Amino acid sequence: MAANAQGVAEAPFVWHPATAEEAWQLKATLGAEGVFTAGGTLLRTQWESGLAAMPNHLIDIGAIQELHGPRTDSEIGTVCFGAMTTLSEIRTSPLVNASFPLLTEAARSIAAPSIRNLATIGGNVLSIVGDSIPALLVYDPVLHWHDGSSGLEESLSEWLSTAAVHPVWKERLLLSVALTPPTLNSNTKRFVAYHKVGRRDAFTPSVVTAAFSIQLDSDNRLGDVRLALGGGQTIPHRLETVEQFLTGKPADKKTITEVYSMILEHYEPKGDAFVPVSYRKKAAANLIASELWKAAK
Amino acid sequence: MKDSAKSVTPLAASSIPCTINGHEASLNVPPAKRLLHVLRDDLAMTGAKRSCEIGRCGACMVMVDGVPVNSCLTMAYQCSGKSITTIEGVSAQAGGIDPIQRAFLEEGGFQCGYCTPGMIISVKALLDHNPDPTSLEIEEALSGNICRCTGYGGIKRAVQKAIEWRKEAYESESIRD
Repeated sequence: MAANAQGVAEAPFVWHPATAEEAWQLKATLGAEGVFTAGGTLLRTQWESGLAAMPNHLIDIGAIQELHGPRTDSEIGTVCFGAMTTLSEIRTSPLVNASFPLLTEAARSIAAPSIRNLATIGGNVLSIVGDSIPALLVYDPVLHWHDGSSGLEESLSEWLSTAAVHPVWKERLLLSVALTPPTLNSNTKRFVAYHKVGRRDAFTPSVVTAAFSIQLDSDNRLGDVRLALGGGQTIPHRLETVEQFLTGKPADKKTITEVYSMILEHYEPKGDAFVPVSYRKKAAANLIASELWKAAK
Repeated sequence: MKDSAKSVTPLAASSIPCTINGHEASLNVPPAKRLLHVLRDDLAMTGAKRSCEIGRCGACMVMVDGVPVNSCLTMAYQCSGKSITTIEGVSAQAGGIDPIQRAFLEEGGFQCGYCTPGMIISVKALLDHNPDPTSLEIEEALSGNICRCTGYGGIKRAVQKAIEWRKEAYESESIRD
């Protein structure tokens, strides 16, 4: 491999593979010396804050066509978001807003337009705590990776459960995130909500990020309950116990009161010096209770 | 290195072609150098301001292919083949001063002025794509620009005035045509 004076920290080599296979081969060859980069916005903040050193090699995945933009599978309605899809594309896409409104709202709340023009959905997901993740989780997302062989698929929930402690995924290349819109049963209404609660609207880790989707039938009973929470350094996850409890229950004061208590009991956020665990739990419980209340009215 | 990786070569320092304010350029800089530093230190274009350097304040805002980006977050190689517009280019396009700049002057949309080039770039990017934005759309478009002097009242008035003037200019041109 060629070397020149730029191959040092602060002036890394930048590689531009044209295919996922080339990118993966570069990473396999460079090992820890090489880092995949898409928009580069999160990497830059990590370099500036000292959380990570600038690597000797950047593997720019921007030229890999298959990683760009959303693609729809018209037969089953699944939409595949290439990892290079920018948050701005998601924010402004009528297709996304029609099928995945929570994702549109999540994109609106992440940073500012100028950053969303560079930042990608792949980068936000791979941060493990990105604020798009609670919204994505509502739509049963599947991650597609290039791992040097036949490719790998795994659910976002499954990946999140081990990503922080088993960083083996850093050797793979994320190709896309596939989402399936929920179907609406007859005689039901769907209610969705996305909230990001923090000291500022953007640019500060949120206290709670909540995504919520339910169906309400003509008897005012809840169904297809999907509830995801995250925020700050909490790894986002679905609250399956609460979802199961709510399924089939009437949307009334008794149910909402019980759910409030359940969230306080089952949700386990990560606290920090600014916002303790107890406050995050209460904020999450209030958000979900208030959304249920709105749906029940 | 395996064959497929061997065929890829890293970007050379002198091979970043782009357009800056309408002029073709070839950037002879390290590929991961920040665009902000390329503009200010290598090209002596100091309109984009250095401030937070992590994309939070918007003082370094420029347009790349017509959309706003933070030049402190943008690396030189990301500009390859792109069209960059800085605040210097906004002035030149308008033959001295853009109506958006005039609106900031007349409505008191600045005090110290440090954030103003970035603000004007964000407003221009917004109005070029959406000539008649709602208040919410204006707030979202400016959500990445921080001003520590004005309290934003003058800035909001300036944006409204710029919208009004652009509409009037468009209507005048339509009548002439």
